[in-house]
Amino acid sequence: MSVDTISNILFASLRVSTPLLLAALAGLISQRVNLLNIALDGLMLFGAFAAVVFGAFLGSTWLGLLLAMLLSTLITLLFAVVVIEFKANLIVAGLAVNILATGLTSYLLVVLFDARGAYSPEGLESLTRITLPVIANIPVLGDILSGHGVLVYVSWLMVGLVAFMLYRTPLGIHMRSVGEHLEASETAGIPVKRVQYIALLLGGALAGLAGAQLSVGNLTLFTDNMINGRGFIALAAVFFGAARPGLTAIGCFIFGMFEILQFRLQTSTSIPAQLPQMLPYLIVVVVLTGINLQKRRRKVVKAE
Amino acid sequence: MVDGMKDPDEMEKKDRGDVLRLPDSSQAAVYNFVKVLITLLVALLMGALVMELSGKDSVAAYRALFQSSLGSRTAIANTLLASTPLIFTSLAAAIGFRAGVFNVGAEGSLYLGGFAAAWVGFTFTELPALLIIPLAFLAAGLVGGFWCYVPGVLRARLAVDELVTTILLNYVAILFTEYLVNGPFLVPGVANAMSEEISLAARLPRLAPPSQLNASFIIAVLTGLVMVFVMTRTRLGYELRATGDNPIFTRWAGISVPAVIEKVMFIGGLLGGLAGAGQVLGVHYRFVAGFSSGLAFSGMTIALLVRNSPFGAILASLLFGLLRSGSATMEIFSDVPRDLITVLEATIIFFAAMEISMQFFRRRRHER
Repeated sequence: MSVDTISNILFASLRVSTPLLLAALAGLISQRVNLLNIALDGLMLFGAFAAVVFGAFLGSTWLGLLLAMLLSTLITLLFAVVVIEFKANLIVAGLAVNILATGLTSYLLVVLFDARGAYSPEGLESLTRITLPVIANIPVLGDILSGHGVLVYVSWLMVGLVAFMLYRTPLGIHMRSVGEHLEASETAGIPVKRVQYIALLLGGALAGLAGAQLSVGNLTLFTDNMINGRGFIALAAVFFGAARPGLTAIGCFIFGMFEILQFRLQTSTSIPAQLPQMLPYLIVVVVLTGINLQKRRRKVVKAE
Repeated sequence: MVDGMKDPDEMEKKDRGDVLRLPDSSQAAVYNFVKVLITLLVALLMGALVMELSGKDSVAAYRALFQSSLGSRTAIANTLLASTPLIFTSLAAAIGFRAGVFNVGAEGSLYLGGFAAAWVGFTFTELPALLIIPLAFLAAGLVGGFWCYVPGVLRARLAVDELVTTILLNYVAILFTEYLVNGPFLVPGVANAMSEEISLAARLPRLAPPSQLNASFIIAVLTGLVMVFVMTRTRLGYELRATGDNPIFTRWAGISVPAVIEKVMFIGGLLGGLAGAGQVLGVHYRFVAGFSSGLAFSGMTIALLVRNSPFGAILASLLFGLLRSGSATMEIFSDVPRDLITVLEATIIFFAAMEISMQFFRRRRHER
């Protein structure tokens, strides 16, 4: 492989790991308050849908982006109320959000645009690409890092912001405390419910952005079920990173790289497309198995 | 009545050693039945709301839906046809949930099992019906069972989240079967991704032509009754209910929880495989890529609606069959996309989620 191919792969990996990263940060925050966010996949789908539809309707990708965040935050609010107030089972409610997302978006696509399966509005531009000053001129590194859509940079900034919030702000300390020991936090006077709401809703906005990156980050296209399990891959990245921002981001990048590798295998070899397409999913299962094996080994060592 | 019907909220109040409790009174069954009806009603209202908000005539849509699923002999046969795979998949979900295992892998098992059945059907063409049909079902069940057994082992031995793995593995199974009919089992000259046709002997007899209703409905109901027996009257049934209610107690009672989880995952996959075989041998007569359209997820909805009662799952599958078979006609005659049914399902799950504060689910997440 030439330097060019490698930098191409890394460039593309950065791009496709962005939705994973934004969703994983959402999952990470709710994981920190001890709420497993199964709904990510559906929230991303709502975000992807809203970005295209509202973007086209209002004639601005930026407004589309804003409404994508708003819609998935609203849906998250519904999810949060059901889970926190009505004590609904977290996983079941999360699956309900996912199923609602597939049903409602497909339904609306037909009703609103008479489009079955896919919708691409005319005239809607994808998100602005940014040429980084100075870095763009560095050979190789510039090719990899510069020229991405704006959300790519936002997602990596978010890693830092989320880390800062978790470790340096009172809110983050409250979140970690709630996740560590809910009853003790309550006794210590932390507004547990409010912290859980904030965590879930922040995640909702991030998941909406993640979806928007998929639908308007590169092309402006919405297709039925376009998330394809990415919400769960993001969740796997959170498991991989043990809910730490840095490690989780690395996990997302690795999973994103496999998505690009499978794509390259598809286009550059005569292997039927379905085989490489299986790769990212299999890798995630293998990685999850690997980390749990590791965890158990460590436990055994400790016990001895 | 059936044991799985018991009210989990009520169970929570009881103390630990109460898992051996006798099946509930018929009063509780009536109570639960009414609850199920109310949930369905709320879902239908929610659907009507969505339709009205999007400028559709909900009354006309529902009329079309019910007429085409109940209005004639053929319509009823079509409803039973649509409920056939749901009986399998709802039981697959129910047995897992009852044991506190979130197995959503039946969708993948359905695809792989469906392909295995088709493969038997077009490979051993000289076998008579009495041999080839059981063989096809057996192959489908084993392949499907093994597919869920793997994440089952990972969950039982290494605590790898089975929900995430089974969902991701579903994508793998769907892609893999698509590859099979596009690659090694490609039939030249066929436009869509599908396998060869199975032999005439392998086709299940149709019960009420012109409907495609076929013998797999009977097989599904019988399997369902076997599952009722397994879950309520056998040692495994006791073990899996105990695991679902209280894994720690179960371990102290000398039952191997990992072994129970593995068995339950295998059975869930097996049922998914049988569902696939039924569709292939009874409806399509070949493997068609992407043929399921979320049958396992509907099955999951059913299991949650009836709170994992195997008997309830059979009955509720008939209701969901009605929705599924009517939705196609609804789409044609009242211009309401059939995806509305998915919205109804989501509403049902939301309600089920609010009611279920089943402690075993919560505990499962707390274990970590």
